[in-house]
Amino acid sequence: MKVFAAIEVGSYELSMIIFEISVKNKMRKIDHIRHKINLGSETYATGKLSYEKVDELCKVLKEFKGIMAGYKVDAYRACGTSAVREMENRDIVLEQIAQKTGIHIEILSNSEQRFVNYKSIAAKGEEFNKMLEKGTIILDIGGGSIQVSLFDKGTLNTTQNLKLGVLRLKERLDHIHSSTSAREVLIEELDNAQLSVLYKLYLKDKEIENIILVDDYLTFFVNRMIGSDEGRYLPVERFKTYLDHFKEVSTAEIAQQMGMSEDNVTLIFISAILVNRIINLTGAKLIWVPGSNLCEGIAYEYAEKEKMVSGGHDFEKDILDCALQISKRYMGSRKRAETLESLTMAIFDGTKKMHGLGKRERLYLQIAAILHDCGKYISMVNLGECSYQIIMATEIIGLSHKEREMIANIVRFNHDDFKYFDVLSKESAIDRQEYLTIAKLTAILRIANGLDRSHKQKFKDVKVNLKDNELVLTVDTKEDISLEKGLFADRAEFFKEVFNVQPVIKQKRTLY
Amino acid sequence: MGEKKKDFRNPEYYTNREMSWVLFDHRVLSEARDKNIPLFERLKFLSITASNLDEFFMVRIASLKDMVHAGYQKRDIAGLTAAEQLEKLNVQVHELVDLQYSTYNRSLLPLLEQNGLHVVKGHEALNEKEKQFVDSYFAKDVYPVLTPMAVDSSRPFPLIRNKSLNLGALVTKKNEEGELDFVTVQVPSVLPRIVELPGSVEGRRVILLEEIIERNMDKLFLNYDIVCVHPFRIMRNADLTIEEDEAADLLKEIEKQLKKRQWGEAIRLEVEAGIDKRLLKKLKKELNIDTPDVYEIDGPLDLTFLMKMYGMSGFEHLKTPPHVPKAHPALPAGTDIFEAVRKEDILLHHPYQSFTPVVDFIRQAAKDENVLAIKQTLYRVSGNSPIIAALAEAAENGKQVTCLVELKARFDEENNIVWARMLEKAGCHVIYGLVGLKTHSKITLVVRKEEDGIRRYVHLGTGNYNDSTAKLYTDIGLLTCNESIGEDATAVFNMLSGYSEPLHWNKLTLAPLWLKQKFLYLIGRETEHAKAGNGGKIIAKMNSLCDPDVIAALYEASAAGVKIDLIVRGICCLRVGIPGISENISVRSIVGNFLEHSRIFYFANNDSEEIYCASADWMPRNLERRVEILFPVEKPELKEELKHILDCQLRDNVKAQVLTPEGNYEKIDRRGKESFNSQENFCEEAAKKAVIPAEEENSRVFIPQTHHE
Repeated sequence: MKVFAAIEVGSYELSMIIFEISVKNKMRKIDHIRHKINLGSETYATGKLSYEKVDELCKVLKEFKGIMAGYKVDAYRACGTSAVREMENRDIVLEQIAQKTGIHIEILSNSEQRFVNYKSIAAKGEEFNKMLEKGTIILDIGGGSIQVSLFDKGTLNTTQNLKLGVLRLKERLDHIHSSTSAREVLIEELDNAQLSVLYKLYLKDKEIENIILVDDYLTFFVNRMIGSDEGRYLPVERFKTYLDHFKEVSTAEIAQQMGMSEDNVTLIFISAILVNRIINLTGAKLIWVPGSNLCEGIAYEYAEKEKMVSGGHDFEKDILDCALQISKRYMGSRKRAETLESLTMAIFDGTKKMHGLGKRERLYLQIAAILHDCGKYISMVNLGECSYQIIMATEIIGLSHKEREMIANIVRFNHDDFKYFDVLSKESAIDRQEYLTIAKLTAILRIANGLDRSHKQKFKDVKVNLKDNELVLTVDTKEDISLEKGLFADRAEFFKEVFNVQPVIKQKRTLY
Repeated sequence: MGEKKKDFRNPEYYTNREMSWVLFDHRVLSEARDKNIPLFERLKFLSITASNLDEFFMVRIASLKDMVHAGYQKRDIAGLTAAEQLEKLNVQVHELVDLQYSTYNRSLLPLLEQNGLHVVKGHEALNEKEKQFVDSYFAKDVYPVLTPMAVDSSRPFPLIRNKSLNLGALVTKKNEEGELDFVTVQVPSVLPRIVELPGSVEGRRVILLEEIIERNMDKLFLNYDIVCVHPFRIMRNADLTIEEDEAADLLKEIEKQLKKRQWGEAIRLEVEAGIDKRLLKKLKKELNIDTPDVYEIDGPLDLTFLMKMYGMSGFEHLKTPPHVPKAHPALPAGTDIFEAVRKEDILLHHPYQSFTPVVDFIRQAAKDENVLAIKQTLYRVSGNSPIIAALAEAAENGKQVTCLVELKARFDEENNIVWARMLEKAGCHVIYGLVGLKTHSKITLVVRKEEDGIRRYVHLGTGNYNDSTAKLYTDIGLLTCNESIGEDATAVFNMLSGYSEPLHWNKLTLAPLWLKQKFLYLIGRETEHAKAGNGGKIIAKMNSLCDPDVIAALYEASAAGVKIDLIVRGICCLRVGIPGISENISVRSIVGNFLEHSRIFYFANNDSEEIYCASADWMPRNLERRVEILFPVEKPELKEELKHILDCQLRDNVKAQVLTPEGNYEKIDRRGKESFNSQENFCEEAAKKAVIPAEEENSRVFIPQTHHE
């Protein structure tokens, strides 16, 4: 049994959940402490956090530390989301906080954050799988942005981040004096450009039945309205009556009814309008409010790592599905990608002793193989650079910014000249360790690519054998492989440089 | 429909709360007048009426005076302005005081005499030997602590301290004609008010301290001739902050008119009946007090000395034998409380059952190495509290200890600050109350790390964590490790620590945010049941009932046919027997040996009964301006226990008085019925239930007098 504390430094709230995690009882929430602090408004507007806010943050985090000590927690993880991410001086501020409180806050990139949120929903197990049987959108509403993830036939189809977070919208609305009724129109005008593109590109021909809603305020409201016992499924018609209620009754009155501040009511209203917009775009019929949050996802990741939870949803598959969708969008060749995938995986798995990399790196390589040629959609000549740019500009849920950058580099160097650390480190924040990973995976991708030079998938079955300083790739094919063999030396050179191992091709002709 | 037109808020349907309070003090007084009660217990009740009345003046009358000064015109629940209330109260309080003293003079003094205790009324009645004794006592013990004060052209009228007993005298300069001067001396509160005179054959004789001083007045003012000496006592609208009872708009009003508020103005002057008219005139002028606020008293001023008389030894046969709380059958001395609570939820009924398990709960938690944290709200704690000691010990043992100490608890501020500081020193996290709210809830949370995970133990109560009052107040306590309640308890303390409210509550309901709504919902649900023809029943027991919203809801329920039985010890603004409005409501008040203090609420809910206990009364201050907790009792056995308690109280025909449609309280006609005293019955039941003899009680322990709510 472990006691774990998950801390979220959110846009409008600092919260900590204490979990008790055990194999038997899975995750049990022990304590949930929330402190209201609006960091978002400041950082979205000015890019900086005032001294007062930093002090307040430190004060509360210190208290959190005391509470953690009280529960004798085994471990904690503190994550900052968009408000922290968008701070220009975040590193300085986080260092200050670490010095003052001893709590190290990790910045989650948007896609990591969404992925963790998504894990918190998936942690609900059956209910989640049931939802996915039909077309489903996960709508994750944050302070700074919203994330729309589309599930089609049980797999993740796409995920898009739109800068339409409730705090950000409220900030903008605050500059325009308007009545409640006018607000809906204003929000529509603000979000229309982004939402209509989203619709045209991704939602147009999908049948979407369900919306899974992840947020703080609307969830709170829905819980209040439904009562926690009834379950948290909300038919769209019912949702619309709530929305109408919001339009009819004054903010002050609702605040009174709900026992909350008027500011919060405004945030709920904005969230509700956003949800309504998505409903209108998709024709969804049911809303599920699982009431999960980032902290639960953080704890779930910890529990996974500690092997206290298992089974359930396959998150890696989601990441790969997402990569496949991107490849498809840019007309990548599915067949070739499959060949490359199987070749790279075979080489990776057969040379574990040589490269010493783990499961996560294997995933990078797999994604790199899937996306290896996405750039040709733009330019056949500038394939490397274009692929790099596409990957850098496309969100892949579940990958951090750094991870995506590594993959983009691996794909780039598959085509272009490799850049050594001195050069590479000048153009990006990649560190030495990551650089080495890039080099190793690039080397593997390059020889795999070399084996399939003709794009005819001649090397479907390859046996990988590492002997002393030779990597023997035995191919079972009757086809002529002289092209591959001839050009292989060039490809193998970099591999030799990286591992000091010489790859060689052997052809085995099975006689039928 | 005629139904809809009923105005349940018509002021005519309500009783003014202050008038109702006077009726309550009358009920206490009727105990002092009850011949079936041992004599010394009657003294105690009379003393309580006096201290109650003092508090009433300081808090309520003072507040009404503030309203008048501020020109506040808003009418109360019964449609009266502050000035109108004061006018009516004046008459009623005078009557009450007259009855207090006729009880003292006509009933109690003769009975004391018969039982061998003679109270010497005036020093003139002392015999020679006694005169010598008191004079030497005066010289030796009294004189050194006196501060005589004279008023003349160079010395202004001195500050007379609030609630102090004084002797005022008119004097003339020796060998000079004419000018009467005023002198005064405070009867020192550091000396015992009752002085026992040296033994005599007929019985014991006592005299009051002020008589001894009066006899020796000339020794204090050597250069003067004493013309007359009389005791007097004043009550001031002193540095009390505005009571939380008042509406927020009043607070604003008074703030605006701050200059007009007369700080420390005298609001009551008590003088001896037959006081020299010139002296009275002088006092009234200097204290700026009008005739209606002057009380001419036929007997000793400030009857609270009777509590001291009650404490005199040698009259044990005239007192009810001290009550010894019994052990709860599941919690005999030395039990592991945690183990017992894991087995089952435990309901404690104090003072019939001992409060010790609650103290032990915290004591054991302090020592238990598996306990991670203890959190508790403390409202009124006894001096030298074992709970405070245990909390300090827990903090020293490295546990997380959080306690919310309510500093705004009436009259206890100084006391509270002292031990709150002590707790802080020991390493506890002390929260000194919440801004603008009094924390009146009684909740303790112990977090314990056990083999199968973290488990939370919670104690919820209707009474304070005060081991001395727990012997006198009737209260309910629940010990449980129910997971839902544990979660809520954690959330309560997070809220009290300044964090956001939880996303939802499982079982508990808190004031000021949700409690009133909850009560109105529960009452309204009975109304709906009654309207649907399924009957409806509410039994509610509390200290006071004066929230207009709740009362209106009760009227509506009664009108719909809900049977409502209320057991309200003190103030009750609801009226019974109003045709079409409150014919289905009964109100009774139980004033007995123990102060009824528990709050229990029963709702029939169409045969799926719900029973709750709470720290709150149905008063606006509880529901709107305090942190209070309502908790359900759900285990069937425990629900039966609570129902039994309510049932017994409804059956009581000895100590219960029933409110009549005319607005009076009357004892129940017992003719042909067996008499039934619920408090005595509970004592007997507790004794029967306790398998193991009660906690050992040292009979030499004094029971400190405490304020009554």
